[in-house]
Amino acid sequence: MDMDLDVPMHDAIEDQQLGPTLDEDRETNSADNSAGSTNAGNVGQTPGSLEIDEVEDLHDPDFKPGSSGIADQKSAKPLELTNSTIDQLDKWIEYLSKCQVLSEEEVARLCKMAVDVLQFEENVQPINVPVTICGDVHGQFHDLIELFKIGGPCPDTNYLFMGDYVDRGYYSVETVSLLVAMKVRYPRRITILRGNHESRQITQVYGFYDECLRKYGSATVWKMFTDLFDYFPITALVDNKIFCLHGGLSPMVETVDQVRELNRIQEVPHEGPMCDLLWSDPDDRGGWGISPRGAGFTFGQDISEQFNHTNDLSLIARAHQLVMEGYAWSHQQNVVTIFSAPNYCYRCGNQAAIMEVDENHNRQFLQYEPSVRPGEPTVSRKTPDYFL
Amino acid sequence: MERVVQQTDYDALSCRISAIYKGYLPSPCYQLAKCGYMGYKEIHMDYINGLKHVSRRIHGKVTRTLQSSYPVMNYGTYLRTVSIDLELNGILSKIGKDQRVQILDLGGGSDLRMVPLLRNYPNLKFVDVDYSESTKVKSKALWETQGLREFLKLQEPQGDQLVRSDRYELISCDLNDLNQTSVKLDKVTDADVPTIIITECVLCYMTQDASQKLIEYLINHYKSGHWVSYDPIGGSSENDRFGTIMQANLRDSRNLEMPTLMIFNSKEKYANRFAPLQTSIQDMWELFNKIPQDEIKRLKSLQFLDELEELKVMQTHYVFCKSQWGNV
Repeated sequence: MDMDLDVPMHDAIEDQQLGPTLDEDRETNSADNSAGSTNAGNVGQTPGSLEIDEVEDLHDPDFKPGSSGIADQKSAKPLELTNSTIDQLDKWIEYLSKCQVLSEEEVARLCKMAVDVLQFEENVQPINVPVTICGDVHGQFHDLIELFKIGGPCPDTNYLFMGDYVDRGYYSVETVSLLVAMKVRYPRRITILRGNHESRQITQVYGFYDECLRKYGSATVWKMFTDLFDYFPITALVDNKIFCLHGGLSPMVETVDQVRELNRIQEVPHEGPMCDLLWSDPDDRGGWGISPRGAGFTFGQDISEQFNHTNDLSLIARAHQLVMEGYAWSHQQNVVTIFSAPNYCYRCGNQAAIMEVDENHNRQFLQYEPSVRPGEPTVSRKTPDYFL
Repeated sequence: MERVVQQTDYDALSCRISAIYKGYLPSPCYQLAKCGYMGYKEIHMDYINGLKHVSRRIHGKVTRTLQSSYPVMNYGTYLRTVSIDLELNGILSKIGKDQRVQILDLGGGSDLRMVPLLRNYPNLKFVDVDYSESTKVKSKALWETQGLREFLKLQEPQGDQLVRSDRYELISCDLNDLNQTSVKLDKVTDADVPTIIITECVLCYMTQDASQKLIEYLINHYKSGHWVSYDPIGGSSENDRFGTIMQANLRDSRNLEMPTLMIFNSKEKYANRFAPLQTSIQDMWELFNKIPQDEIKRLKSLQFLDELEELKVMQTHYVFCKSQWGNV
């Protein structure tokens, strides 16, 4: 058997079919043209050229926001669960909890229901204590299951997730499917905000798009989920005291009320207040700064203090940045960063954390390590990228 | 183990091809303007096509990830490649074109630096050293590539021989075996000629004993020279788990060992491998932060790098080390 286990399962199978040794390659070279060209993909077929066809083109009419059709028949009032939808959702949640994917048709039904929940949420979704606030998950499904073990099962514990469910990890589909199913099943127990990765553009670079193609054979599921992301609320307000969002503040937003006036049902724009709320970072330097990320801004302690004072807030809770302890205070406790993907990208070595806020507004951080993934066949585990 | 280590060459080549495909390499301000690496992309594309004739499996492996390569990997490949190229060209232009000079690219695998360097420095002899699995593939791929075959003036290999020319040698050798290494190098190099040694992700796969003996032998054998090395370091701060996780990941998923990752786990300890030579070392994050704004702007336009934290974690765990000895 070939030692090359650094490939996803389907690739490994291709490799096996091609024969493990160099010498065999040469022998099978001419006889096995079809397998050879499958393995080589459509790359480098023109001699001396690196031009390859893009898998799909963004200008393809099918790529237009809304083309998945999940929001074509929106309800005029919030989804009311019936016994049969509850049964269905419970089954899906049970299934998804085992890291299994739903069928394309089931994802369509789930997303349609989710639209009828999420479209009625507010840009600043009000939430009550007690609640457990979580940061980036990034497709690390097994660590999300660990999170629910540490924080308590939903709906026993109320959860607020601050975005970035997809990309980077290997199980974005399972992760976002589970969270959306929970949201539909327990709409008042769990809140899922939008992160900068819940976007059509970013998911095409960072993995969710490729994962959907790999797991479903087409971009349909990716279209449905990215259409659904447009409906996710962008901020939440815990008992009018803790302002929660994925990224940070915007120079165009001085009050929480201004967030309420935004039209959020759209792809994350490249600039402007909605973009900033999902992209900005706190910084040691005062005032506003240019973000090294190329979107959003950096904001200093003066900005955070002013925002909290103006809006009578005690804290801004946000995610978006890898912090080695899983949480990090900044701006003299005006801002907290929470990051809930332990050992980010399976190689960064960071702890993860969630923040519990109890009935009396006491805060407690729970840190945790990556979950052991028992029983998972090694061959399906891609090597995290290193420079070798 | 030998095969497992040898296979890492295809990871490196794959990363480089990806960085070329996305436009990170060649860097116009560094590799083209400063190093004169004209035709960089074409050289690589030719080689890749030659490789396709040698092994579709390897070709597939190398080109598979082209479309989905992450920015964080392309940035890292850019950093390691450009840093080494700049250093080599700096040394070579300082030496000038009037005296003989030789480069030993140890464990360089599919590295194609010899092509622009041999073109730009007529006084240079270039020696590639790697496992025989690797040199066999490279020899065949170079021979299959008309442009490179003609440019390097390769002589047709007889039987099991590898391609060679008056100024280019491809040597099959296990660097862990010092006797073999010294004998084979002696045949094609001159100890009195200024010598530049490259180890790009090579020492990290060797045991402490074997790597230190190799370093000691070479810096004593060659009268004068420079050593340019790029490797991961495990990290030395108390809560830094990058190195132990890296070791576990590579061991679990592909049986790959990095025996000294946690021994030479800091810049200081890594640099000390070359004591008592005059050595300077930087991590790749430090080098990243020295890139001028215009070049950063160009890089940003290629792919959207969404976060710097991860890039920092990665790049603070890779180092670029340069040492010098003798009168050169």
